[in-house]
Amino acid sequence: MEELLRMEGIDKRFGSFYANRNVNLSIMKGEVHTLLGENGAGKSTLMNCLIGLYTPSAGKFFMRGEEVRIDSPRDAVERGIGMVHQHFMLVEDMTGLENIILGDKRHSTPLLRQEDDRKTIEGLMQRYGLEVDLDERVADMSIGMQQRVEILKVLFRGADLLILDEPTAVLTDLEVQGLFDIMRSLTDEGKSIIFISHKMREVMHISDRVTVLRRGECIDTLEIAKTTEQELADLMIGQKFEESVYAKVNATDEPMLQLTNVSYHPEVKHGGLKDVSLTLHKGEILGVAGIDGNGQAALASLVTGLLSPESGEVCGPDGKSIALFSPQAFIDAGFGNIPEDRNKMGLVGDMTIAENLVLKQTDSERFSAGHGAWLKMDAIRDFAERLREENDIRCTSVSQTARSLSGGNQQKVILARELESHPKLLVAVYPTRGLDIGATSFVHDQIVAQRDAGCSVLLVSADFDEVLKLSDRIVVLFEGQIMGTYPGANPPIKEISLAMAGK
Amino acid sequence: MSKSTSSENSREKMLMTLTPIVSVLLALIVGAIIIACLGKSPLQGYGAMIQGSLGSAAKIGKTLERSCPLIFTGLTAVFAYKCGVFNLGGEGQFIMGGCATATVILGMGLDGPVATLCGLTAGIVVGGLWGLLPGILKITRGLNEMITTIMLNYIAMYFMEHVFKNLYSDNGLPKTLALPNAARLASLGDMHAGVILALLLGAFLWYVIFRTSFGFKIRAVGMNPIASQVSGFPVKRLVLLAFVISGAIAGMGGSVELLGKTPYRLAGGFGSGFGFDGVAIALIAQLNPLAAMAVAVLFGILNTGGTMMQSVIGVPTAIVDIIRGLIIIFAVAGMAIVKLPKVIAFFNVRGTRHDKAQSAPDKKEEVTA
Repeated sequence: MEELLRMEGIDKRFGSFYANRNVNLSIMKGEVHTLLGENGAGKSTLMNCLIGLYTPSAGKFFMRGEEVRIDSPRDAVERGIGMVHQHFMLVEDMTGLENIILGDKRHSTPLLRQEDDRKTIEGLMQRYGLEVDLDERVADMSIGMQQRVEILKVLFRGADLLILDEPTAVLTDLEVQGLFDIMRSLTDEGKSIIFISHKMREVMHISDRVTVLRRGECIDTLEIAKTTEQELADLMIGQKFEESVYAKVNATDEPMLQLTNVSYHPEVKHGGLKDVSLTLHKGEILGVAGIDGNGQAALASLVTGLLSPESGEVCGPDGKSIALFSPQAFIDAGFGNIPEDRNKMGLVGDMTIAENLVLKQTDSERFSAGHGAWLKMDAIRDFAERLREENDIRCTSVSQTARSLSGGNQQKVILARELESHPKLLVAVYPTRGLDIGATSFVHDQIVAQRDAGCSVLLVSADFDEVLKLSDRIVVLFEGQIMGTYPGANPPIKEISLAMAGK
Repeated sequence: MSKSTSSENSREKMLMTLTPIVSVLLALIVGAIIIACLGKSPLQGYGAMIQGSLGSAAKIGKTLERSCPLIFTGLTAVFAYKCGVFNLGGEGQFIMGGCATATVILGMGLDGPVATLCGLTAGIVVGGLWGLLPGILKITRGLNEMITTIMLNYIAMYFMEHVFKNLYSDNGLPKTLALPNAARLASLGDMHAGVILALLLGAFLWYVIFRTSFGFKIRAVGMNPIASQVSGFPVKRLVLLAFVISGAIAGMGGSVELLGKTPYRLAGGFGSGFGFDGVAIALIAQLNPLAAMAVAVLFGILNTGGTMMQSVIGVPTAIVDIIRGLIIIFAVAGMAIVKLPKVIAFFNVRGTRHDKAQSAPDKKEEVTA
């Protein structure tokens, strides 16, 4: 096979920190090449070097055997390299066609030649099986179609090498299948694809070769036919990886939290809730499965008191309605909350770790005298030191800002704060989003340990594997509606994934 | 790796603290060049400035008196910004505080310590109310406080004109009657007691912001209102309180200025410019109340010393405005530059080299041993 791209000795330093060190990578024509690595392994940095957003500190790029310099995104486009970002870069108010030709420099005239371009694009659509309604506004498109617009955009600019950054994270199982078909037809036509993902099942399914990155270094490149999931996972984390299996429990019938016919802006498909009824029992983990953007945020906000339902009732353990409670009431009830966005909702980034650990308790006798008139700085520091020790929060000092921590350690701060008082109810929303394998299993262990101690957990996650792994019972949320309730032990996976797609 | 982040953290902190100091020095150097270009000796000029502002107990008192309103408006801005409220209405709140004091004392014909106390209270209350207005507009209608507070400054200014021209005019002249002697603030040596009040207030605010649960919440809301809401803080109430308290501080400043400083009456120009100086002071002080007091005193030195510089060696006072402007530019730009990733990286690299250089001799010793 012919080599399309070769990287030789790519270094990228930030100050004294190496984000990439001596990376050698070669991409063949017509292959799907997966980049595998934990968060912070340097995948994104490497790709940003390749598309000209960063300039490498050292190293060379070769395209078709010829050395090239890539100093700007425009250079990358000219060399035929295009990237589909995880978060789409589309103008929502423009049509598909307008988005695809936006910023394209092929015509020297100042006038747009939409009709010529339309023909070209329709040709591409046919050739690669990319179905897009070019005249629909992007805002009205499904996520899958938006992604196809992004792919067309890259192809329209003449890319031979496509970088797909976690493209399956936002898709349903069916859409993933469609994407894989497209990827195959692209490689059949001689295009090359760099695929970034950490969903092992998909990696095994679609890749030709895999390169594992760890701590910025290229560990190994393997042919997919000659490796196993286990080997890749071990290479990725650098030690023998043992996935923990958690026992499922049969919960009591005592309700801890009950939602009855709750609606919140039911007309909004991707953010509202429609007639939701569910019961969380004492001492169980109830997993809410579903593709991101099907009402999870609204559900979590309702339960934690940030929003009030338009109709229906939210009842607490005593069966009394707590529909109108506030975040303060939620906290006073002794409930814990791991919010969906740790930087926006969970932490005050510019405050210190210690301050974030006592965030909800500064009025208590424990941390202040005279109802908050005098903060006991020593008590706060001792408390923070203890939690840091117990939860293995990696920092140099608890007076460091929370912002300066890595994602995993930020999540540990939130977990430490929320679980310290042994809550009776824990709402965990996307608790491991963006975390690496190590931090993820720490979070999972903690959640299961809380359940074993009698806490009821409402787990909302778009990571299907996570829901399967932890939940004692599973409900599926689709376009704001509950599609069904399933057992957590021996779950009917096929049925659930169909429910997640609304079938 | 963890070690490097700690030294990076402290290094950034150190750079942030150094920035205002370096900015002042740079501004003085540029000022010196300008003075030299005017054909005067910079040394003599700055000498006159120091002599004129700090040369004797009386002069120090005078300087502190001139710093006093700036301390108040500086603290006004500091407190509001800590809660994420961009109060640019310090001037209006300051003026309204003065008007309230004048109205209570002159209108009710009060005299003696009762007058002082009532006047001060009225100033604080009305200043707070003048701060409450934009607060209510922001919280209920979502109006941007930067715009409403500036507009309220004009209303306050014209209202004051009404007070000194029509209500309590001194025989039809465009100024109010002077406050009665016994109502004025006591004199402590060469300055009025209001200066002490301002300094105590600054210390008290530092305590409130950094050592109470209330201040903790104010800071949290200022830095991340959404996380604060999730954490159960009454965010809207805290924001409203920040408006009121910040306005009350300015109102108190206006009241003290009127009660403490000659001519003890309202007239055109009362409070003019103090609000925006306060904003600049808060920014240079990086929202620390204690630092804000120091910067306010520095501004006081420039003001009084500048007059002296003009009369002794004939350098125009405009130089002082230039220097003050330069301090602001250097400090604000400096803080932005310090936060640039490239600059951080540069200092980190230098820092690690420095660390290595320091640790190198130890290693040699080990080898020889």
